[in-house]
Amino acid sequence: MAADIHKKKGWEGPNGSLVPADGQPTERSESPTPGLAQGMEPGAGQEGAMFVHTRSYEDLTSPEDGDVASRSPEKGRGYQADQTSMEQISKDFSELSTQLMGMALDLEEEMRPSQEDKMDLSLQTARRDSARSEKEDEDVTMEAWRMHQKHVFVLSEAGKPVYSRYGSEEALSSTMGVMMGLVSFLEVEKNAIRSIHADGYKVVFVRRSPLVLVAMARTRQSEQEIAHELLYIYYQILSLLTWTQLNHIFQQKQNYDLRRLLAGSERITDNLLDLMARDPSFLMGAARCLPMAAGLRDAVSTCLQQAKAKSLVFSILLSRNQLVSLVRRKDQFLHPIDLHLLFNLISSSSSFREGEAWTPICLPKFNSSGFFHAHISYLEQDMDLCLLLVSTDHEDFFTVSDCKRRFQERLRKRGMSHALQEALRTPFYSVSQVGIPDLRHFIYKSKSSGLFTSPEIEAPYVSEEEKQRLLELYQYLHSRAHNSSRPLKNIYFTGPSENLLAWVTSAFELYVCYSLLGTKAAAVSAVNKLMKWIRREEDRLFILTPQTY
Amino acid sequence: MSGQRVDAKVVMLGKEYVGKTSLVERYVHNRFLVGPYQNTIGAAFVAKVMSVGGRTVTLGIWDTAGSERYEAMSRIYYRGARAAIVCYDLTDSSSFERAKFWVTELQNFEENCRIYLCGTKSDLLEEDRKKRGIDFHDVQDYADEIKAELFETSSKTGQSVDQLFQKVAEDYVQLMAFQVMTEDEGVDLSQKHSTYFYSCCHH
Ligand SMILES: Nc1nc2c(ncn2[C@@H]2O[C@H](COP(=O)(O)OP(=O)(O)OP(=O)(O)O)[C@@H](O)[C@H]2O)c(=O)[nH]1
Ligand SMILES: [Mg+2]
Repeated sequence: MAADIHKKKGWEGPNGSLVPADGQPTERSESPTPGLAQGMEPGAGQEGAMFVHTRSYEDLTSPEDGDVASRSPEKGRGYQADQTSMEQISKDFSELSTQLMGMALDLEEEMRPSQEDKMDLSLQTARRDSARSEKEDEDVTMEAWRMHQKHVFVLSEAGKPVYSRYGSEEALSSTMGVMMGLVSFLEVEKNAIRSIHADGYKVVFVRRSPLVLVAMARTRQSEQEIAHELLYIYYQILSLLTWTQLNHIFQQKQNYDLRRLLAGSERITDNLLDLMARDPSFLMGAARCLPMAAGLRDAVSTCLQQAKAKSLVFSILLSRNQLVSLVRRKDQFLHPIDLHLLFNLISSSSSFREGEAWTPICLPKFNSSGFFHAHISYLEQDMDLCLLLVSTDHEDFFTVSDCKRRFQERLRKRGMSHALQEALRTPFYSVSQVGIPDLRHFIYKSKSSGLFTSPEIEAPYVSEEEKQRLLELYQYLHSRAHNSSRPLKNIYFTGPSENLLAWVTSAFELYVCYSLLGTKAAAVSAVNKLMKWIRREEDRLFILTPQTY
Repeated sequence: MSGQRVDAKVVMLGKEYVGKTSLVERYVHNRFLVGPYQNTIGAAFVAKVMSVGGRTVTLGIWDTAGSERYEAMSRIYYRGARAAIVCYDLTDSSSFERAKFWVTELQNFEENCRIYLCGTKSDLLEEDRKKRGIDFHDVQDYADEIKAELFETSSKTGQSVDQLFQKVAEDYVQLMAFQVMTEDEGVDLSQKHSTYFYSCCHH
């Protein structure tokens, strides 16, 4: 294994920051892809997978509807503005805004990052929450915009505001006009992705007719990753409306105000954006399992499997965005994106804590034209264990509700409630268990199972800001490893505060964070030890025997 | 099987934010949750056992989401309902217009569903009389016209909440007694009895 990580130059960006600038010298392994065949890696299920097989980004951009013909082949093509065209865009943008807003805006001026590059994240979060809940309008000046790392807008092709991450859509509608002008200026084709880079900023456009999604980001994410997030937002909207209904609405009335139908869902979309900024599940395109003894998990899964009904497609038990168990109908696979949307829905609202929810939900990657009905409930009041039963029949509430009751009864009869409660008490494990002194954190994904594991983020990544920075480092490695034109298999990265290693094979992906104390040789040999540890612990960290009804 | 039996289906309808969830919360758990507004997603079901004149009655309450997004699906939630509590916010006249919409919907599709009009957040009127959004007599006239009971409740103080649900349950028991009586006489005036079981089937 170690032999496959070749000696490469560590690279540090200016100011010690990670700038994924193109044209920088990069490290590439000349070696062939090694070792483990897919399906044999740690974490690979013994009886096949639970999920649709995915290739993260590529899969996200693949069509979810029948409309393949109209799709542009140039997915993810970035629009790298050179100096002259940047000037041209800037000029046109300025003219456009004068026209639309009665004032001139200099694109380059507006794109420039503010003085305060670092901000108090916790403060920012608090503020945005109160803004949403109190329905207060934020003052939408460019000044206020600058305070945020990333803005996300959704608008209809007719230029009507649909969603805005900060501030009310109302107040932003003139800005939306400018956005829209810019979209048509860039001639963003249907289903294409475009982006503009201006110093410190990236503006990424994703057009998914009848919607246009725009992000303005100061994060270090690549445009692929930003587009990836925008697509998640698009799928989130589909999960509430279905692709069919969305298209039908806009065919009937081009300038329909979609906010009417989305009222009350802003919280869900906000939550999704927050979650994507801190949960590596989205980056990995995989699900994380709650660590627990294999015997217990299998017993719980069996109880869940036995509480079946004709109309059920998926039974999912989860705890704080971690998978406890998943039972599916034979031949039906869940897509990780759909699972993430379900996780997000549940974590975005405390309203599921009471009673039993029964709600229509579209799983856009599974079938974007219709609704399933989801039965959502918590098993016990103070226990963070949520049961999600996905049914094909909206009339079947009482049958599905009875499945829940039967599941609970089985758990109780076999005395497993207590053991489950114990497992919930330790939802994370410490990286110190691995026994590698310089190892700070890692993410390991088994490609064939679509599951990943990762220890708790510990010191020195204590503050929200530091945690986010660590995730950004992983994002950076991930984007280098998956760069569509020059994918890298092995990366060793020496940063100012930590060393990182990425290793991507056809069977797994591994991202490791070390302290600065260790050498590269030590890091490479530690990977061996880490892989052995994961193998040893795999039946606790993964679901190796997924069940079907 | 030990499934819980539901005697009468009750559905909460009304514009978003009028306080349907708060009303159910007050009635079932006798509490009022402060904190940011959490709109209901889809609908939530809760069963409540109560006693009416020595008899126990289980109400199966469907708390629906007010968002227009679910309007097209609302029938699955109110179909077969014995009672509908149509809520409007006493301080918001637009919510009363929305209540009228639901009444029409019920009259068209659920003839046998009793309608209870419920003006919510009455505590806000106690603070300031001028906050009342619709004239009380207009609402009363409308209620008479559609043969609905009218309540003004506050989930915050609990005012009239128990009375509302008690009335719903009493009316149900009375209707059942009447139906049994007419069935004994060999005349079946009732519609198909819609009793739900949590567990398996009966009949
Ligand atoms: N003062 C006062 N506020 C109330 C009362 N009932 C509800 N509210 C508030 O009104 C807001 C909406 O209440 P909900 O019960 O969530 O409204 P809902 O009708 O269920 O809304 P949807 O689920 O979106 O359809 C919340 O902020 C409640 O705290 C009341 O009796 N008095
Ligand atoms: Mg509600």
